[in-house]
Amino acid sequence: MVSINDYESSYANQWCPGCGNFGILAAMKDALVSLDIPPEELLIVSGIGQAAKTPHFLKCNMFHALHGRALPLATGAKLANHNLKILVNSGDGDCYGEGGNHFMHAIRRNVDLTLLVHNNRTYGLTKGQASPTSDLGMVTAMQPHGVISESFNPLAVALSLGAGFVARSFSGNTEHLSRMIREGISFKGFCLIDILQPCVSFNRVNTYDWYKKRVYDLSEENYVPDSFEKAMSISMQRGDEIPIGIIYKKEKPTFADRIGILHEGSLISQTYDPGKLNSLLAEI
Amino acid sequence: MNNRRAVVGRMNQMDIDITVKIGGEAGQGIQTVGHLLALVCRKAGLYIMAINDFESRIRGGHSFFQIRISDSPVHAPHHRVHILVALNRETLDLHREALDTDGLVLIDEKAESAEGSVINVPLEKLGKKAGGKIFSNTVAAGACLALLGAPFELCKAVLAEQFGKKGTDVVEKNVDAAELGYQAVKDVAFKWAFEWKPDTPKGTLIDSSRSIALGALSADCRLAAFYPMSPATGIMSNLAALSDRFPLVVEQTEDEIAAVNMIIGASFAGVRAMTSTSGGGFCLMTEGLGLAAITETPIVIVNAQRPGPATGLPTRTGQGDLQFVIRASQDEFPRFVFAPGMPDEAFEITARAFHLAEKYQVPVIILVDQYLQDSLFIIEKQLTAPEETERFIAGDDDMDNPSEYKRFAVTPSGVSPRALPCAGKALVVISSDEHREDGHISEAISDRIQMVDKRNAKVPHMIKEMNPPKEYHGDADILLVGWGSTEGAIKEAVDRLREEGMNAGALNFVDLWPFPFEAAIAALNRTKKFYMVEQNSSAQLGQLIREQTGLIHSGAILKYDGRPFYPNEIVNDVKEYVR
Repeated sequence: MVSINDYESSYANQWCPGCGNFGILAAMKDALVSLDIPPEELLIVSGIGQAAKTPHFLKCNMFHALHGRALPLATGAKLANHNLKILVNSGDGDCYGEGGNHFMHAIRRNVDLTLLVHNNRTYGLTKGQASPTSDLGMVTAMQPHGVISESFNPLAVALSLGAGFVARSFSGNTEHLSRMIREGISFKGFCLIDILQPCVSFNRVNTYDWYKKRVYDLSEENYVPDSFEKAMSISMQRGDEIPIGIIYKKEKPTFADRIGILHEGSLISQTYDPGKLNSLLAEI
Repeated sequence: MNNRRAVVGRMNQMDIDITVKIGGEAGQGIQTVGHLLALVCRKAGLYIMAINDFESRIRGGHSFFQIRISDSPVHAPHHRVHILVALNRETLDLHREALDTDGLVLIDEKAESAEGSVINVPLEKLGKKAGGKIFSNTVAAGACLALLGAPFELCKAVLAEQFGKKGTDVVEKNVDAAELGYQAVKDVAFKWAFEWKPDTPKGTLIDSSRSIALGALSADCRLAAFYPMSPATGIMSNLAALSDRFPLVVEQTEDEIAAVNMIIGASFAGVRAMTSTSGGGFCLMTEGLGLAAITETPIVIVNAQRPGPATGLPTRTGQGDLQFVIRASQDEFPRFVFAPGMPDEAFEITARAFHLAEKYQVPVIILVDQYLQDSLFIIEKQLTAPEETERFIAGDDDMDNPSEYKRFAVTPSGVSPRALPCAGKALVVISSDEHREDGHISEAISDRIQMVDKRNAKVPHMIKEMNPPKEYHGDADILLVGWGSTEGAIKEAVDRLREEGMNAGALNFVDLWPFPFEAAIAALNRTKKFYMVEQNSSAQLGQLIREQTGLIHSGAILKYDGRPFYPNEIVNDVKEYVR
């Protein structure tokens, strides 16, 4: 049995005290332990930002990559070995800003991985600029007259692109988040968990209290996540009431399922056959 | 055989040296005619070399396919045209000047009336007679072959091979069309018609788009990720066509950034992976290039050059990216850069690129260009795949204590044992931040210095892998120095200059970075003067030689109009210099 100690990293944490990332890290460990996944069977890929530092703070295989580029890199790893269990830690700037194009196309591919977006609606590591999910009008040091662009809606975008697992959670509710991560890892296909998270250093608007007053758990409302239309409507609730939970869930063939050659086994497990190639070379 | 032999002939006693140019609008089937000629010539045991000249459009405009036919190996295009197949009137206007005295123009009667060297062949009418307008290209090929004296049976056999898969009806109609083409010019005397002696093919008809794809397969490349960009796409279309037969996935990505990151991910997870692009796409990949470097993940990137900057000339050729690719990305790190001169060399270089990338855990860049990607050559060497590929991967069994595994452990060679994620007890920790030996982020002064030194420690070993420049009459008084695809044109220019009594030679660099400076100094010190021959406007290799060796070229023959070098251009420029 895997225990929480197996995931303890000796690497010193670098987050601000009180950061929402601590709740996410705790929920990840809890989910991984309860699913009995040992660290050596887990690969975490991340981009750049405070969220992307997450894998350093728990013991596992990890590739802390470039800003915005975690998803294509994870896709490549998955193509090489589609038996890999992959989590991706990203942030709202990393995933919806710098990596927006990759976000869209990873969904289209239906890569079988679980994407955790630590969505604190601000840029933490670069000190408090607006992010794609900041509300219209939000004032920051860099946007003194308020944000002049509409806020990005990751759930609606993911749904519209055909994502099979779309969920939202809140870093202040570790139990809920752990449940979402367990469901996500168990799901076969691309899985988005957008995690609402306060930034104690830079986001003075979307605080713990602000979220606590607004979030409600869909599972307590007898919501069944099987309707695309209902899911789209839920995804648009972003005001005084913010739903958390699985918004939409439907399995379909994954990226690897759709590639014929991978039915014979993962790319890495297949064998090099010089005979076949030499006969091709003699043919041409 | 004719009185022009002295002009076009070479030292290796070329008896046949004929150039046929087929021109028209994009979409008219220029390549169909050209490929047919190439295949018939190959079957007859002749050598050919063909260039593809086209605009960045799918229909209209002006394109041509120019094929040089010889009984000796030819590795560059020739500037004089002996048969001009004009599929439209514009072709005649554009290329009339290149027509040799006694050359002939084949043109539809609708476009221009017959007079002097202009011969009318009702291509469209005869095509329709054979079964449809589409067959007019085969009529044109038939007429060309008839002028050249090719036996009709040979043409027939090639048509059967080419169209066999499409059924007997298609074969028969093509044979009829070719025969109508033969008939149409049966009374025309062509000065350069020659005797076609029965012979066997001298080699494989191939461009570097194909040979690089095959080279990648021979190195056991299993993922090719790309974003379409001329002139690099051909490599990927060749691989895609083979992806059902080998353990290979070819993935078209959302952009070049995704392509390079995807191959880094695949390589990290344990399979060999590559991408191909052109300069603009390479710009987008430079961030990923740096990621491969700092994470010491082996990757292979082919940059098929075209003139730039920005969109530049999408379908044209150039060598403007050398100085860019040797330094692309911020800060410093080791990398390999190679520039093959011919498709067979491109095959070998590609296989070698994968090997060296993995051996040293560094990115490798292969520089080709539109000329090499889209030109057909006969290569005599049989391409072969090795029995096995040497991998440089460490498993738990290779370690004393897998749970203490450090991905970036310092070693004298700078190369650390490379484990794969989720392959054992050893955890693989990698960060694009500067890091410690265990892969975790570090800003400590000692870690930073240690990691930079560790990466740089590879360079002396990498230089030992580099081959010296290839010498051709390397002891001559004057050396023409080039790199990559200009090799064929430069060597032919040297032949011509030597015929005219000049003691000229050539040096061609294939292994470019890390720069083999000792070998370069040794080779260049043997000559009195050397001249750069490059397809850029500033003699980029010349600058590099000066920087790395202190030796300065006496002049530079530079062509940056987007078109390949013709040997005569080099000959004329050298004569200007040494007059």
